[in-house]
Amino acid sequence: MTAGRSAANRAASRAAFRAGVLECLTLIPSYVPFGLVCGVAGVQAGLGEWGAVALSAFAFAGSSQAVLTQFLSGGAPLMIAVLSGLVVNLRMAVYSAAISPRIAGATRKERMLWAAFLVDQTFISNETRHLRGQHMDHPLAFYLGCAFTLWPWWVLMNAIGAFAGAKLPTSWQLDFTIPLSFVAMVVPLLKSRGQIFAAIAGGVAGVLLYAMPLKTGLIGACVFGTCVGMLVDTMLAKRAASSGTAL
Amino acid sequence: MNWGGFGTVDGWLAIIGLAIGTFAIRYSFIGLLAGKKLPPRFERALQLAVPAIFAALVVPLILLHAGEFNLQLRWPHIVAALVTGVYAWWRGGMLISLVIGMATLHGLLWFVG
Repeated sequence: MTAGRSAANRAASRAAFRAGVLECLTLIPSYVPFGLVCGVAGVQAGLGEWGAVALSAFAFAGSSQAVLTQFLSGGAPLMIAVLSGLVVNLRMAVYSAAISPRIAGATRKERMLWAAFLVDQTFISNETRHLRGQHMDHPLAFYLGCAFTLWPWWVLMNAIGAFAGAKLPTSWQLDFTIPLSFVAMVVPLLKSRGQIFAAIAGGVAGVLLYAMPLKTGLIGACVFGTCVGMLVDTMLAKRAASSGTAL
Repeated sequence: MNWGGFGTVDGWLAIIGLAIGTFAIRYSFIGLLAGKKLPPRFERALQLAVPAIFAALVVPLILLHAGEFNLQLRWPHIVAALVTGVYAWWRGGMLISLVIGMATLHGLLWFVG
C-alpha cells in the first residue's frame, strides 16, 4: 500500500470504493424490515433506545441481536444470552476462513478492518468481485465502500425502530428481500458441479436441521453440504481420470 | 421529544459481550491464517462451504412458514425465489433480480387473492 501513493493509484482506489458503494446500495431495501424489528426488540429487552443503537453499531449482526434481545426479554442470565447470540454468529468463522486467502498481503490493521465489517452481504459482494477477477485492484477500498454503505444504514434502521417503534405492514413482505438477495448473489457464484451439489445438500440439511436451537443446524448443514460437494468432486475426478477425458 | 434512555448495566454488559465475541469470531481465521498458505484441500473445502452455508441459510426462509413446511402458503415464495435465481444466473445484477422476484411474489399473491 505504501509503494503506490501516486495520483493514479488514489483515483483507482476511489473508483474501487465507489464500486463497492454502488454494489451494496442495491442491498439496502433488505435491511429495512429486519433493522426496524431489531431496534424495537432492543428497547423491549431493556437496553434503552441508545443501548439498542449501540448494539446494532457494535455487533452489526441482525440475527444475533434478535437472539440476544429475545433471551434478555425472557429474563435469561446474561452469560447465556451473550453466548447464545455468539453461537448464531459462528457462521462468520466460515466467512473469515474463506476470505483469509483473498487478503494474503494485508497488514494487521487492515485485517482488523476486514474483520470488523464481515457480514453475509459484505462477504458475498467481495467473493463476487473476486470471481469477476477484479479483486487485485484495491480490494480493501471496494470492501470499505460496501461496508460504509451497509453499516450506517443498518444502524439508522435500528435507531428508527428503537426511537419510533416503526414497523412496516407485513403484507409488503419486505423481509422476503433477505432470502431473495442471497439467492441473487449466490446463484451466479455456482461454477462447479461440486458447488451445485454442496448447495443442494446444504439447503436440504438446512431445512431438516432448522428446528435445532440457536441456528446450530446451520453449521451442521454447512459441514454436510461441504462433504457432499467434496464427494461429488472426487467421484467426477476419478471418472475423468479413468476415461481419460477432461471435464 | 423522546431523547432516549440508556437501559440497564446488565444490558450494556450484554452489548459489550456480544460485540467483542462477534469481533473475535470474525477475526479468528483472518488473524490466525495471516499470510499463511492454506492446504489446497482446505481451500477446496471452503469453496464448497460457501454455497452450502448460504443454501442452508436461505432455503428454510423460502420454504418454511412458522418453522413448518407449508406448500399451500409458501408456493408463491418458492416460485419467486426460483424466478430470481434463474434471472440472476442468466443475467446477474442484484437490483433487477430483486425487483423481478418481489414483483413475481406480489403478482402471484394478488392473483390468488
